[in-house]
Amino acid sequence: MIKRIFGFSVEHPKLIILLTLIGTCVFLWQFPKIKIDTDPKHMLPTTSPVRVYNDEVDRLFSLHADTIVLGISNKEGIINQNTLKKIALITQSVLKIKGVIAQDVLSLSTVNDVIVKEDSLEVRPLLDNIPETKSELETMKKVLYDNPMLVDRFISKDGKTTAIYIPIEPAANGKAIADLIRKIVKEVGSPEEYHLAGDPIARDTFGAQMFMQMGLFSPISGMVMCIALFFMFRNYTLVFTNMAVAMISIFWSLGLLIGMGYPVHIMSSMMPVFLMAISTDTVHIFNEFYFRFREVKDKRRAVIETMNTIAKPVFYSDLTTAVGFASLATGAIVPVKIFGLFVAFGTFVILIMSYTFVPAVLMLIKESSIQKALKREDIKQDKAQSTSWLVKLGNFSLSKRSAILKIGLILMALSIIGISQIHVNNNMVSWFKAKSEIRRSDKILNKELGGTSLAYFVLDSDKEDLIKEPSTLRYIEALQRQLEENPLVGKTTSVADYVKHINRVLHQNDPRFEVIPDSKEKIAQYLFLMEMSARPNDLNNVVDYPFKKANIWVQVKTWDAGVMRKLIQAVQKYTLNHPLPKSLKFKPAGIAYFNMVWNDEVLWGMISSFLASLVLVLGLLMFEYRSLKWGIISFIPLLATIIIIYGMVGWIGKDFDMPISVLSTLSLGMAIDFAIHFVSRFKQRYKEVPNLEEALVWTVGRPGKGIIRNAILFALGFAVMMFASLTPYITVGIFMALIMVLSSIATLIYLPALIDKFF
Amino acid sequence: MRNIKALIMILVLGMVWAKPSFPGDTLTPEEIVRACYANFYYAGNDMKARILMKLIDKGGQERIRELTMLRKNYAEGGGQKYFIYFHQPSDVKNTTFMVYKYPDRDDDRWLFIPAINLVKRIAANDKYSSFVGSDFSYEDVSGRKIQEDSYRLLKEEELNGKSCFVIESLPKGSAEYTKRISWIDKVNYLPLREEFYDKQNELYRQFEAFEIKDINGIPTATKTVMKNVKTGHRTEVTFQSTEYNLGIGDDIFSERYLRRRPTEWIK
Repeated sequence: MIKRIFGFSVEHPKLIILLTLIGTCVFLWQFPKIKIDTDPKHMLPTTSPVRVYNDEVDRLFSLHADTIVLGISNKEGIINQNTLKKIALITQSVLKIKGVIAQDVLSLSTVNDVIVKEDSLEVRPLLDNIPETKSELETMKKVLYDNPMLVDRFISKDGKTTAIYIPIEPAANGKAIADLIRKIVKEVGSPEEYHLAGDPIARDTFGAQMFMQMGLFSPISGMVMCIALFFMFRNYTLVFTNMAVAMISIFWSLGLLIGMGYPVHIMSSMMPVFLMAISTDTVHIFNEFYFRFREVKDKRRAVIETMNTIAKPVFYSDLTTAVGFASLATGAIVPVKIFGLFVAFGTFVILIMSYTFVPAVLMLIKESSIQKALKREDIKQDKAQSTSWLVKLGNFSLSKRSAILKIGLILMALSIIGISQIHVNNNMVSWFKAKSEIRRSDKILNKELGGTSLAYFVLDSDKEDLIKEPSTLRYIEALQRQLEENPLVGKTTSVADYVKHINRVLHQNDPRFEVIPDSKEKIAQYLFLMEMSARPNDLNNVVDYPFKKANIWVQVKTWDAGVMRKLIQAVQKYTLNHPLPKSLKFKPAGIAYFNMVWNDEVLWGMISSFLASLVLVLGLLMFEYRSLKWGIISFIPLLATIIIIYGMVGWIGKDFDMPISVLSTLSLGMAIDFAIHFVSRFKQRYKEVPNLEEALVWTVGRPGKGIIRNAILFALGFAVMMFASLTPYITVGIFMALIMVLSSIATLIYLPALIDKFF
Repeated sequence: MRNIKALIMILVLGMVWAKPSFPGDTLTPEEIVRACYANFYYAGNDMKARILMKLIDKGGQERIRELTMLRKNYAEGGGQKYFIYFHQPSDVKNTTFMVYKYPDRDDDRWLFIPAINLVKRIAANDKYSSFVGSDFSYEDVSGRKIQEDSYRLLKEEELNGKSCFVIESLPKGSAEYTKRISWIDKVNYLPLREEFYDKQNELYRQFEAFEIKDINGIPTATKTVMKNVKTGHRTEVTFQSTEYNLGIGDDIFSERYLRRRPTEWIK
């Protein structure tokens, strides 16, 4: 069957190329329908419990999921006429931006404060009138510092930084709004410094930059691979064919994805690079073709013989890769599923092209140009004194097989210890470089103010007016103090703080009254006063409508998912030691909680799909070789590569995050190919020449060259990413090169030693 | 001065009643709004109403405010006094609230908090803030000054079978809204619908009067709603009983009665 396919391709090369072109046009036709979704949040479906609960909390407490924080700092202190004027001006301009939820923008000039002035209560925005005289400025300072709810939120302890909190609509693009805000502050100008932070900016900027970098680095990787290919084969047509196969598989699978109406998500935006990598598998065909052509000196025969020998390993390596990726679809994370399935489809396209398009193009190459390229290679080989270094390497592996096997085992053991020390964490802000504006702003704001990440703990009950009970408020207050013991918690705010503040204000601002009052009536009437005066939302943010539920705001100074886990534990511990009445409980929510769940679900979803695909690949290998032993042997390079890579991640203490987990799937595509090529070709050779050591050395020397070429190509292609501006790409670039080195070492050194020992 | 204003109002109203079918021909947009304010905020010499306010959030959760409001006019379109007593929610019972409204300066407001037996004057420099947590601002409850906006008659059209003037008001100075569009009933000059636009020039609040009753010959909007389009929050107001021209004494509007409700008027 397979023979008939490439037989047909050899007979009708032009027809095959034409058909391929037509097919490509059909898929390209879909491209204008492209929809892009840059929001990493969408990795979890809208129906996932964390999103449903977060939405419910947002609705209950009139909160907004996405808030941008604009920090404004002045070395001389912000309480001066000029800076205050600027704050008012910036706030006014921000309110006009579409997508900004104007009524809930909080800054010194919009937030209400209740203060006592002589015999009257005054309720007004803090910055209603810009203070002019020195004494007015002093009064304002006092007002700010007298209200614990404002310190660390609207003014830093040293008085040099303030912030504007800008909630945006769910559909709005955080980066687009951030760009407009940047323009506004640029016009307002120095000496103040401005810092933009917040989850929506990080998310949307990351999404946007990811697409940009994919758009930039996919072609650059392609170019670098082209150049490397040219130096390997010295033939433009071959370089073109290799790249054409990559492009065709990219166009077909992206075209299908778009045509089926799926948005291109951050996960699927990585498809081109993956497919480009997988398509390097065709190098094995060219590699073998060059060897064959040298032997038979006839292009047609060389092509047919090449295809006869290589068809099987190419088939199995692509099939295994495809199955590996397709099995990502067993997980629960939808974008990962889609990604897996479409990469699998792309791999099938590569397989089909290997049988049709590649032999067709080989038939059209002029014999003379191949001969020219070969001559150059021969000269080089002569210089290398007839036996290539690969053959020497093969001999080396066999002679030192015990030592190699021992070293391998020790490495694996060390790696497993390393893996046990892996720290699972995700921090989207750290995906930006340390010097990037986003990361710098985040650092400054976290240092000066309460924290840019936000968690909620919702006290949930069924009893109306429960929150007005003094005992409830005291419990909330005590829990807040408990949470604040974590050094990464910058500030907590709850309805208890509002009640305490009003109590103080109503008692001549006497600090001794900064406590929870002793009767329900007082609390109820203070809250009523709040409703009558302040912006109602201030209160709605911390209690629900029937006063059944209360919401504690916890500002966190890091985006690490791990901190949220600790806070949840702290609350659990506290409620265990200080039992709550039945039917009462605290539930976590908010963006920090979302990030934690996202981290857990996406990462573990990824890991479990990956483990599933490992098992599947192992089963497939056993089936392919109809042998348990050979299945395991060809599985070893993949397993060793993964164990060592993650062992290293553990040892160097790098957080196991999203990009690192994506890497695992990449190794799936590569390490397994090398092993399949090696084992299949070895078995073929061993059947022809039943001398174990000779066959092993031959395999290292001949298909091994293809493997090395493939590895170099691949490592170079990915190395380009080290120059990216997002750290995940740098990580992927570095680790990919490592994976290549490791899996080619595992295949070319460890496998021969292993086979020699146990065969 | 006040008397002159009152006189103007009487004249304006006189014209309105004299020529009910073609007022648009003779009245300027400003005069229409003036008549509207007079009928909506200044009906009768005084008024007593038991009012139920339902604050309903996006998810349908409710908070109730039940109050009795006493209102006395001191000059048409000018000074007014309000006395408000809260019956519900029960834990704020006996809370009272009083407003003196002046034609030429900021209101004075006082609040009595029974749990700590405290009367506090509340400086009211934020007339845009919410009235007792509802979607109405203080300004919506007690009215805006006529000279603060400029007016334009956009068109005349039917709204729910009633012919209306549609008038656009643009604030001259800073205001809570950037544009307000009002549908004013040509017959009784009550606002049937109002739309408020924000700084992004988007509709954010919408007022609607959907029940008008004749009480002692005075057309009164007895069921109204203010909806915040952006937050999905709304406030439904029902005037459960309304009486006009009762002869409420000046002494009611005092600190003494803030602390102890005037049982003569409020049971």
